Amino acid sequence: MKSVPLSFDALCDAVRNFPDDGLTASRQAALEQLRDVGMPSIGEEDWKYTNIATAIDIANDWLQGGATHLGASDTSNPIESIDADWIVIDNGQLSEDTIAIDGVEIARLSQSRRDIAPTGRLGGLNVALLRDGLHVSIGPDVALTKPLGLLIIDGASDKPSASQIRVDITTAANSQASIIEYHTSAGSAGHFANAVVNLAVGDGARVDYVRIQDRDRKHTQTSHFAVNVGRDARFRHCAFDFGGSLIRNDVAIDIVHPGSRSEFSGLYLAGGGQHIDNHTRVDHRSGPAESRQEYRGILTGTARGVWNGKAIVHEGADGTDAEQANHNLLLSGKAEIDAKPELEIYTDDVKCSHGTTVGQLDEAALFYLRSRGLSRHEAKQLLTRAFAQAIVSLSPLESLYEFLSDRIASRLDELMQEAD
Amino acid sequence: MLKIKDLKASIGDTEILRGLSLDIGAGEVHAIMGPNGSGKSTLAQVIAGHSDYEVTAGSVTFNGEDLLQFEPEERAHAGIFLGFQYPVEIPGVNNAYLLKAALNAKRKHQGLDEIDAFEFLRMAKEKMALLDMDPKLLNRGVNEGFSGGEKKRNEILQMAILEPSLAILDETDSGLDIDALKAVAEGVNALRSPERAIVLVTHYQRLLDYIEPDQVHVLSNGRIARSGDKSLALELEEKGYDWVREAANG
Repeated sequence: MKSVPLSFDALCDAVRNFPDDGLTASRQAALEQLRDVGMPSIGEEDWKYTNIATAIDIANDWLQGGATHLGASDTSNPIESIDADWIVIDNGQLSEDTIAIDGVEIARLSQSRRDIAPTGRLGGLNVALLRDGLHVSIGPDVALTKPLGLLIIDGASDKPSASQIRVDITTAANSQASIIEYHTSAGSAGHFANAVVNLAVGDGARVDYVRIQDRDRKHTQTSHFAVNVGRDARFRHCAFDFGGSLIRNDVAIDIVHPGSRSEFSGLYLAGGGQHIDNHTRVDHRSGPAESRQEYRGILTGTARGVWNGKAIVHEGADGTDAEQANHNLLLSGKAEIDAKPELEIYTDDVKCSHGTTVGQLDEAALFYLRSRGLSRHEAKQLLTRAFAQAIVSLSPLESLYEFLSDRIASRLDELMQEAD
Repeated sequence: MLKIKDLKASIGDTEILRGLSLDIGAGEVHAIMGPNGSGKSTLAQVIAGHSDYEVTAGSVTFNGEDLLQFEPEERAHAGIFLGFQYPVEIPGVNNAYLLKAALNAKRKHQGLDEIDAFEFLRMAKEKMALLDMDPKLLNRGVNEGFSGGEKKRNEILQMAILEPSLAILDETDSGLDIDALKAVAEGVNALRSPERAIVLVTHYQRLLDYIEPDQVHVLSNGRIARSGDKSLALELEEKGYDWVREAANG
């Protein structure tokens, strides 16, 4: 499939029909920016493995069909067993009832009357079509007692739809917060969700962030997560992708001040014709600072994975210590992974490493386990789970371990059935 | 118990076992010695069912049944245990988990319920103490970052927990210091019983000072070149393997 242009006229109509609220000026400005630039296409280096034409098709269908906004989905929270303060974002709309947390300001972007500058083209689309967004501000020295949960539900059962998700979070100096972002689907008609999350980690703050994407297999998603890491801060991020048909996640970490440590990791499990693309970028602009990255993927069927990890050590970022790794397990001959580490170093005093592997299950390990009485199936199950579990161990929120392990096990069982 | 007759086995186009025959009865301890490349490890792997080796002729029966038709896990359920020369490191698979899964696989085959978790832990710790193993190794990945001696002890621990009827220990003594060797030997001797057979595959006579074999066989060029009692091992130590090779060729 070739690239598909976004229907700009329909987009203009849709933006015109939004209510006049605090986002009107931002929407108009974003629309103007989009006029001439179009959407990312496979002709571009950053997008050469991922064609978002199916997502744009869905968006065009939705725009041309009047861009009607979906109401509240009647979906239970699949992750409600996890103790967190949940905020529901339903097809880009914030739930009416708001929660109150001590030391935390939670506001709607539509009421904040501040301009929201879009970054990039998908970021522009996000602002132009934004129904509402969330602004969370965690005060200085505040330590959240339970995680903040963002439950993102999208889609409908009868017709294609699109949604824009926007969350801006600031954590002030020396605060501590855990955040869970969970994406799920309502209905199985085609959907294109376009999410933008910006996070500012204050000086000396500690922020743990887990993103779980478990969408319907007809849903497409693009997401852009940008974080600014403060002085002496510690930031941990872990992302899990289980569902969706076409998924593209961008993670951008900006280290402007010295003394911080950032860990980010991810796991993608894909079968059938799923396409999951993780692009990460870490900018070390100041040192000393550490970054650690590890992504893992298990692919079967005709699934395709993309991992592109870029680390840029800018001039003057002395004392940078950056590691990145990407490991992949292919369970079928037709599954494919494009793994690309990129290091750009513009200063001398640095320690950087990267490693990428692509392989099948280790036959020696399989035989060893079978010689101990485990069936071939049990041995394979054990090895694939162990491979995936390494990322669970890296993820920061222990309260999610059981939930994640169970989900990984059930998804892997599906993938292994497909591979047999 | 184990009867091997005229066994021929190849890996790729290379024939390694060239008509090997061997009889091992219950209660016996056999040592299989021989120079590098004589086929000792191949024999061990073929009995355990490694798919890299193709059996081209001959037969192997275990308690009267054709062993070669069985999958590796079925051989394990039947009571065969291979102590690996190079135990595999499996990061992410908990050592205790594997021990318990292996034991439960065997119990399931025997029609028994899964072992109680508490009872399992008690047993594992008791056997580890006998082998002078650090109990912390239970909660590590299987062999992950273990020293050479810890890996070999871990093999013996698996054997002690699974209580096989036929244990084949492939060069379990290589690379062990004297303390580890004694601990391993103690573990093996604890398992000796009239119902069990043990096969020690070894390059050196040293292990046999601690585990006394009933029979010693010397492998050369894929066949048993000589069999005898434990004095054969001492003779070998003195005269070297060239002596056997010459005897075999002459």
